[in-house]
Amino acid sequence: MARFYLEKGKVAAFIAHLQSQKTVYAPHRKGRNAFAFAPVERPQDVVLDYPRTVSSIKKYFLPPREELLSFNLAENTCAQPAVAPLDAVFLGVHSYDVHAVLKLDHNFVTGNPERNYLTRRQGALIVGVGFTPDRFHFSGSVGIPAGDTTGCDLFLHPCEGGYALEVLTPAGEKLVAGFKLPAHTSGLPAAAPFQQHIYVPQAKLKDVFAHNYDNAVWEEEAEKCMSCGTCNLVCPTCYCFDVEDAVDITVTRGSRERRWDGCMLRSFTEVAGGEVFREEPAARQRHRVYRKFKYISDETGEPWCVGCGRCTASCTADISIVSIVNRLVNDYDAVKA
Amino acid sequence: MTKHELIAPAGTKDLYLPVMAEITDVRQMTPLEKLFEIRLPGGVDLGHRPGQFVEVSLFGVGEAPISISSSPTKKGAFDLGIRKVGMLTEMIHRMQPGERIGIRGPFGSGFDMTKFKGKDVLVIAGGIGLVPLRSLINYVLDNRADFGRLVICYGSKSDTDLLFEDERRAWEQDPRVEFHLTVDHGSPAWSGRTGVITTLIPGLDLDLPNTLACVCGPPIMYRFVLLALKSKRLPEENIYMSLERRMKCGVGKCGHCQINGSYVCQDGPVYHYPDIKALREAL
Repeated sequence: MARFYLEKGKVAAFIAHLQSQKTVYAPHRKGRNAFAFAPVERPQDVVLDYPRTVSSIKKYFLPPREELLSFNLAENTCAQPAVAPLDAVFLGVHSYDVHAVLKLDHNFVTGNPERNYLTRRQGALIVGVGFTPDRFHFSGSVGIPAGDTTGCDLFLHPCEGGYALEVLTPAGEKLVAGFKLPAHTSGLPAAAPFQQHIYVPQAKLKDVFAHNYDNAVWEEEAEKCMSCGTCNLVCPTCYCFDVEDAVDITVTRGSRERRWDGCMLRSFTEVAGGEVFREEPAARQRHRVYRKFKYISDETGEPWCVGCGRCTASCTADISIVSIVNRLVNDYDAVKA
Repeated sequence: MTKHELIAPAGTKDLYLPVMAEITDVRQMTPLEKLFEIRLPGGVDLGHRPGQFVEVSLFGVGEAPISISSSPTKKGAFDLGIRKVGMLTEMIHRMQPGERIGIRGPFGSGFDMTKFKGKDVLVIAGGIGLVPLRSLINYVLDNRADFGRLVICYGSKSDTDLLFEDERRAWEQDPRVEFHLTVDHGSPAWSGRTGVITTLIPGLDLDLPNTLACVCGPPIMYRFVLLALKSKRLPEENIYMSLERRMKCGVGKCGHCQINGSYVCQDGPVYHYPDIKALREAL
């Protein structure tokens, strides 16, 4: 499909053009060096060149808190709040976060399809953007180059003086329609290289994880881990949740709310009576990493980690998922050699 | 990454919406456990398999997975044996016949009874593990001609917390049932057998290739029962186990019940032993 040249000076006007059609969510600067997706109010506040946002756009499809049921306690009845489609454009999404959404799609479509997630997700259009990997990104190692356009309707490839705007779907074409842009005729610049790598082909990871359940690295990393669950909180492919009831002050109304939860928290596997099935932090650390590289991957054939680097960048104890995986690879190679 | 069709398919269920059901009977079994009989609207059957569970909810208090204690052969209502262990179960214990609670399910694998046809059934229940296994026991009793021997080994902490007293006495008298009972610590009034549940196993006279064992009990019990069954030389493929986890959503999403990569609410809580032998977190 078509490719246009969007010079830097026209970006704000282009965002305004998107806003005239749909709600636009895009990265904004929050504080000194943090970025977050937020609804665009003023196009000039949008930051398209950013390392990573604190949370991915997952928060719009699977909100951190969500009412599943509302109660009328006097009548002992419940109702499901209506969930509205988002009908929005997500602008400036990095390739790994788009892949993360596609993975969540898989989790919420297969098995028991979940209406809440699907309703929010189905109208969402995505405008991807290229980025310069920093010392935490490693999505190239899990099959997602920095310029990967999978799942996007439009993609902004950074180039000299602005962006090469690539049209990828009819919905993307419609978004651009009416905004006059010159064609982009020169070749696309190569996506920026990664500084951080998992040193193994994806296909081999299956064997690496099959043989490292008892690796000493789990205990070693757990020594540092404070079980704060931040890695779960920032992960774009984590979707585990807790469900809790609450009543209002009149005790006549209440709601059942779902909230993000994390497998790194001790309470995650606790059952009535107090038994905790992953009592040791090492077991929880292993579970988290196996969820990203084995349990789901054995079924889908691809890593469930997208290499965004958030868990490592946000870790309060400097635990690096890349170091863990590379350690597993090295130990596997040493044994097999 | 394969892209998925994002439209919720026709017939997509309301995964989290409970059906309001009526409590029709409440029986105090022990100071901690009550048996509730539940009737769905219109008296429709739950349509469960022995070994499955439901999510029980009280609005404003919460929701919890509870195993179904009656056999699907019981029509018009089903039973839930509930131990008072937390806020939700404590509130449920205060409820009376005529009151309504929310039910979702049935969920989980349950026992595939077609695999049990013609087989001897060995039930090994520790403590509250008898609650889910009662669904299997009553199924076998209600279809008695379809199965071989029914051997029940029931172990409890003490004689004061034994469950299902009437039925237990009936099993003791019933010539179609071989019932073995032991308690860890008997009260002064206890005249029966004393010892942990595994002490019942060596003395059993079993037709090993034709016997299927169904095990449910507290987490600590499984490895000792497995050892006892192993020394008995019962083939591994003849063992089924029902495992406890925190099945919060019941539909394979929330993640709490996972044993390694297996969602207990989907693949379990009843597992064929060879299928979970490789799951290191199972026991």
